[in-house]
Amino acid sequence: MASANPSLTLTRLRIHAPSPLIIVAFILTGLITLPLLYVIFSALTADGAVWQRLWSTRIPELLFNTFSLAVSVAVIDLILGVSMAWIITRYRVVSSTLWDWLIILPLAIPSYVLAYTYTYLLQRNGPLEQAWQIVAGSDAQIFSPFSFAGATLVMSLNTFPFVYLLARSAFKNFNISFEEAARATGASRLSTFFRVSLPMIRPSLIAGLFLAILYVASDFGAVSMLRFQTFTYAIYQQMTGRFDNTAAACLSMVLVFFAFVFLLGERWFRQRSRFYQTTGRYRKPIPQACSPIQNLCFTGYLGMVIVAAFGLPVYLLIQWTLDALAAGDLSPGLIGYVGNSLFLAGITATLAIVIGIPLAYLACRKHTWGSLLCIQGAYAGYVLPGPVAALAVLVLITQLAPALYGTVIVLLIAYLVHFLPVALQGMESTLQQLSPNLEEAAKSLGARAFQTFSQVTLPLVRGGFMSAWILVFIQCLKELPATLLLRPVGFDTLAIRIWLEASEELYQLAAPPALLIVAMTTPVVLLLMKKGSQPVSRNG
Amino acid sequence: MRFHCIHKVLLCSITLGISLLSLPPLSFSDDTLVVYSGRAERLIKPVLDAFQAESGITIQMLTADTTALVNRLGMEGERSPADVFISNDAGTLERARELHLLQAVDIPGIEGAIPQPFRAPDNSWIGLSGRIWVVVYNTTLVKPTEITSILELGQPKWKGKVAIPSASSVYLQTGVSVIREIQGDTVTKKFLQGLKDNAGTSVYGKNRQIVAAVARGEVAVGLVNHYYINRHLDEHADAPVAQLLPDQGENGMGIVLNAAGIGITAHATHLAQAKALVQFLISTKGQQMFASGNKEYPLNASVDAAPELVPLKSFQVANVPLARLAELRDPTMTVIEHVGLR
Amino acid sequence: MTNEPTHDKPIVLELKKITCSYDSGKPAVHEISFTANKGDIICLLGPSGCGKTTTLRAIAGFESVIEGTVLLDGNPVADETLHVPPEERRVGMVFQDYALFPHLCVNDNVSFGLCHLSSDDRRHRVEEMLALTGLSELGQRYPHELSGGQQQRVALARALAPQPVLLLLDEPFSNLDPDMTYKMRGELHQLLKNTQTTAILVTHDHEEAFTMADKVAVLHQGRLEQFASPETIYHLPASRFVAEFVGQADFIPGEIQNQVVTTEIGKLPIPKDYQGHHKVLVMIRPDDIELCINATQGAKIETRQFRGSENLYGIRLPSGHLIHSSAPSTQCHKLNTPVEVKIIATHTVLFEQT
Repeated sequence: MASANPSLTLTRLRIHAPSPLIIVAFILTGLITLPLLYVIFSALTADGAVWQRLWSTRIPELLFNTFSLAVSVAVIDLILGVSMAWIITRYRVVSSTLWDWLIILPLAIPSYVLAYTYTYLLQRNGPLEQAWQIVAGSDAQIFSPFSFAGATLVMSLNTFPFVYLLARSAFKNFNISFEEAARATGASRLSTFFRVSLPMIRPSLIAGLFLAILYVASDFGAVSMLRFQTFTYAIYQQMTGRFDNTAAACLSMVLVFFAFVFLLGERWFRQRSRFYQTTGRYRKPIPQACSPIQNLCFTGYLGMVIVAAFGLPVYLLIQWTLDALAAGDLSPGLIGYVGNSLFLAGITATLAIVIGIPLAYLACRKHTWGSLLCIQGAYAGYVLPGPVAALAVLVLITQLAPALYGTVIVLLIAYLVHFLPVALQGMESTLQQLSPNLEEAAKSLGARAFQTFSQVTLPLVRGGFMSAWILVFIQCLKELPATLLLRPVGFDTLAIRIWLEASEELYQLAAPPALLIVAMTTPVVLLLMKKGSQPVSRNG
Repeated sequence: MRFHCIHKVLLCSITLGISLLSLPPLSFSDDTLVVYSGRAERLIKPVLDAFQAESGITIQMLTADTTALVNRLGMEGERSPADVFISNDAGTLERARELHLLQAVDIPGIEGAIPQPFRAPDNSWIGLSGRIWVVVYNTTLVKPTEITSILELGQPKWKGKVAIPSASSVYLQTGVSVIREIQGDTVTKKFLQGLKDNAGTSVYGKNRQIVAAVARGEVAVGLVNHYYINRHLDEHADAPVAQLLPDQGENGMGIVLNAAGIGITAHATHLAQAKALVQFLISTKGQQMFASGNKEYPLNASVDAAPELVPLKSFQVANVPLARLAELRDPTMTVIEHVGLR
Repeated sequence: MTNEPTHDKPIVLELKKITCSYDSGKPAVHEISFTANKGDIICLLGPSGCGKTTTLRAIAGFESVIEGTVLLDGNPVADETLHVPPEERRVGMVFQDYALFPHLCVNDNVSFGLCHLSSDDRRHRVEEMLALTGLSELGQRYPHELSGGQQQRVALARALAPQPVLLLLDEPFSNLDPDMTYKMRGELHQLLKNTQTTAILVTHDHEEAFTMADKVAVLHQGRLEQFASPETIYHLPASRFVAEFVGQADFIPGEIQNQVVTTEIGKLPIPKDYQGHHKVLVMIRPDDIELCINATQGAKIETRQFRGSENLYGIRLPSGHLIHSSAPSTQCHKLNTPVEVKIIATHTVLFEQT
C-alpha cells in the first residue's frame, strides 16, 4: 500500500481486492462462527436415529415451551415496559427521577438469582402462598415456581427493563408534533396513544422485545433453576445426562435455526423502520402534573413491580447473608471468587469492543452481502446456547491449539463468542447515529482512514462504546453455563458459587456471592442508565 | 474528567488482557491433587479437607454434573489436569472405564476392604458407599402393607399421591435402568407413564424436597435414596415419615442399589497422591466420613453403617451388576424421554 | 386600502386580549386581540420568538391562555379557567414539519380524523380531499416516499378532511425549496379560497404574508403591532418596526412647518391626523423614489442590486443618508452616477424622532 503513488494504487486495489476492513471482519467472523459451524457439523452428521428420537420425544415440546415462554414474557414485558415508560416520561410523578433509576435495577439481578429467590417465595406454604391465603382463604394455592407461570413471572421481572429503557428513550425523544397533529384532527388522548404514539415507537419496542426474547431463548440459569423445559435447559440436560453430545448439538441446531430466522426478521424490520425517522423541527414532550390520586396509583404500581423484581429478592439475599454470617458459614474464598469474576468480565468486555469495532463499522457503512453475512455470523454467538458454545470452543481448542487448554483463555474465547453480539449491538446502533458525512468531511480534508476513525469517529461514539463495554461486563459477571463447563480447576466465579449452593437449595450459602454480584452490577447498571439518558449525538 | 477515566479503564483492561495472553497455562504445584467431583461439594469437601490435613497433600476440586465430567475428561484427553474422578453413580464410573478414561491401579489391601461387586475387576474404579432407592411414606396416611413393589406406584390408586425426582436425577435413571433390565421395556414404560400421571406437578429436583413433601402430607409416598429419610429424621425427629423397602420376597425383583465411588484417571500426573487418597477413602476413617457420616452404607465391610440403617445384608437387592448400569444408561434416557418425564 | 366587506361575514375566530406564558413566567404573548371572519386568510407575521407560533398553538389548544378569551364560532374555548382540549375544538392544523404519521400511508393519514364516519363516507371524503389536493394517485404511498410539496399537500388534506371550522398553518412553506414555495403559495391560496376555508397562517416572510393574507397581524415581542390588510401594513405601517419588517424602508429626518414636512429631498404633505412632535422621521420606500440623472444635486448611486424585473439602487445623499430606490431594470445606471431623487409617494408616513 505504501507505494510511490498511493492514490493510484489504492484505487486500483479497491477494484480488484476487498478492502482490508472486509478481510479483517471476515477473519474475525470466521473465528467467532467456528463453534457454530462445529455444532451444525455435528448435528448434520448425527445418526438419523438421534434425530428421529428427538423429533418424537423432545423437539415439539421444546419448541412449544420455548416459544410460549418467549411470547408470554414478551407480552408482559411490553405491558410493563411501555406503561412504566409512559408514566415516567409523560407525568410528573412524585420523585420520578428516583423511579427512573429504580426501574432499571432488576437488570442487576442475574436470572438464576431471581429464580432461586422465587423458588423460595413461591414454594408450597411459602411466604407468598401464606400471604395469598390471608386474602383468598386458607385452602388457596399459588402457582408453583416450577411451572410455566413461574418461569414467565421470573423471566418477565428480569427482562422488562429492556423494553422500558427503549420505550422510555423513544417516548422522551418523541416529536410531540405527531401527537398534537392527531389531537388537532380530533383524536382523544387515549386514542392518540394507541394510534400514533405506540405505533410510532414500534422500532424501539421491537428492539426491546428482540433483546428480551433473545434473553429468554438463550437464558440457562433461570429455566434450569425452575426446571422449565426450554431448549437451553434441554441441551444442558442432554449434555450432562448422556455420554455423547450429538443430541445436544441437534437441539442446538434447531434453536440456532429459529434464532437466525428471528434475527434476520429483526434486521429486515430495522431496515424498514429506518424510514420512520422524521425530519423537521423537534418539539419535546412536556410531562404533565398529576393529581394526588394519579400519584398514588402510579407510585403504587411502580413500587409493586420494583419490589417484586428487585426489592424482595435483594431483601431475601441480605437476610440470608446475615444468617450465613451469624452461622459463620461465609466461604473464605469469597474474595478470590470476586477477583476471578471481575478479571474475566473486564478482559472480555475490552476484547469484545476491540474485536467489535471493525465488525460494527462494516455493518453500518458497507451494505453488501458480504458485510451482512459477517455481522449475522458474529451475532450467531448470542443464540448459540451457552453450554454448547462452551463445549464447541473446548473441542476446537483441544484440536487447534491444545497448548491453550487449561487456561482462562478458553473461557475467554467462549465468553467472546457468546457476548460479542451484545457489544456489537450497542456499537452498531451508536455508529448508525453518526452521520457518514462527518467521516466524509474528514476524508475530504485529507485525513486517512485510521486518522478519521481515531480523530472523528471514535471521540463521537465513545459514549456508546463505553455503554457496550459495560453491558458486556455485566453479562460476563452473570455468565453461568459456559463457566460451569469451561472453568479451569480452582477458578470458580461468583456465578458458579451461587449455582453450586443454590442447586443444593442452600439459600444461605448462595446468598453472599449473589448479593456481591448484585452489589457489583448495580452501580454499573446505574452508570449505564445515566449515560443512556444523555443524548448520544446531535446530528440532524 | 470522565473522558480520562474511560481511557484509563480501557487502557488498564487492555494491558491486563495482553499480560494474560502471555501467561503460561495454569498449572499446579507438583503435589497438588486435582479432583473432579460429581458429588455435592457440601458432602465431599469435609472428607477431602480431612485427607489434606492428614497427608499434607493439597487438593484442587472441580465440582460439576457427573456425566459432564466424564465428557470433559474425554475431551481433555491426555491434557486433563484431573487425577481422580469421584462420582455418585457406579454406572458413570464404569462408563469412564470403558472409555479408557480411568486406569487400573494396584491398591494394597483393596481386596480385603471392598468386596468384588463394588469395584471394577481391574480396580480402575472402587465403590466407596452404597445407597438404596426406597419408598418414603407418610406414616399417618399410608400403612406399610399397602405397598409391596415400586411398580404399584404407577397404578391409578396413587393418583395425586406420589412425589418423584425429576428426570435429570441420576437416582431415577439408575432405578429405571434396573427395572428395565429385570422387567423389560413394556412394563417399564407402563410404570413410568403411570408414575408421571400420578405425580402430576409433584416432581422435585431434590430428594430432600420429596421427603419434606411427604412429611407435610402433601403427598402420601415418594421415591428417594434412603439416606434422605434419615437426614430428615435427624432434623425433625417426630416427622411422620418412614422408609419402606419394596420388591422383597421370593418373587420380588429386589431393591435398586447403587454405589458412589472413585477412580484414578488414565492420565493422572500425581499417581502416588491419588493412590493415597483412595487408600484414605477405603480406610476406616475415610469410610466413616465418606459413607457413614452421610447415612450411606460403607462398602468396606469392616466399617459399621450408621446404627439406624437397616443392615445391608438383611434385604434383597436387585440382581443387576453395577457395571451393567453403564450400558443401560443411554437406552434408559430414551425411555424416560419417550414417556416424557421431566 | 381595500376595505373588503368582511363585516357581513360571520366571525369564526375572536381573540380577546389573550396572554399566554411559558413556565419562565415571562409572557410569550401579551394581550393580543383580533378577529377572523369566515373565509378570511390571516397571517401572523413576525420575527422568530415574537409569539406568533404561541398564538397559533393557543388557538389550537396546545397552549393554555392565562388571560383573555378565545372564541371559536362564538363559543369560548379558552380563558383563564376554561380549556377545551384540542381534539374538541374542530380546528385543523398543518405543522411546520407536517407531522405526517410515518407508519401510515397517505390514505390513512388523511382519514385519521374521520373515525366518526362510516367506512364508505370516510373513503369518499378521503378521495375528495386527495382529488382536491391533486394527490389522487398517491393514496397508497407512505410519507417518506413523497416529495416535500406532496407531503405538504397531504398535511393539508389531513387537516381539512374533518371539515374544521378553522385551519391553522404553522410556517407551512419553511421546509420547501424556494421555487416550490412559490408554486405552493399560489396553490394553497386558491385552495383555501375555493373551499371558503378560514385560515390562520404563521410566517416570518412578509412576501408570503402579502401574497396569502386578507389581513396581516404583525407581532413583535409578544405584542400585536398592527392588524390590517397587507396594503395598509406596507404603506401605512403603524410602527417603525412594522415599516422595517415588511420591506425595504429608509428613514430620513424632516421638520414640520405649516402642515408640510420638509426633508432633504423635498417637501411632503403630513397626514391629516398627525399631531406629534415637529422633528420627525419620514419613511421612504424604494418605490416612492424616482431617479433621474442630474449632476447638480450631489447625490450619487452607491450600490446596485439587480432583482430581475427591477434594479434597487442605494443612493448616498449629500447629508450622508442612504436611501433606496427601485427602478425598472430596462434602464441601468452605473455606480457613482450623480442623480436627482424625487418623491412620488401618495401618502406620508411619519415617526417621531427619538
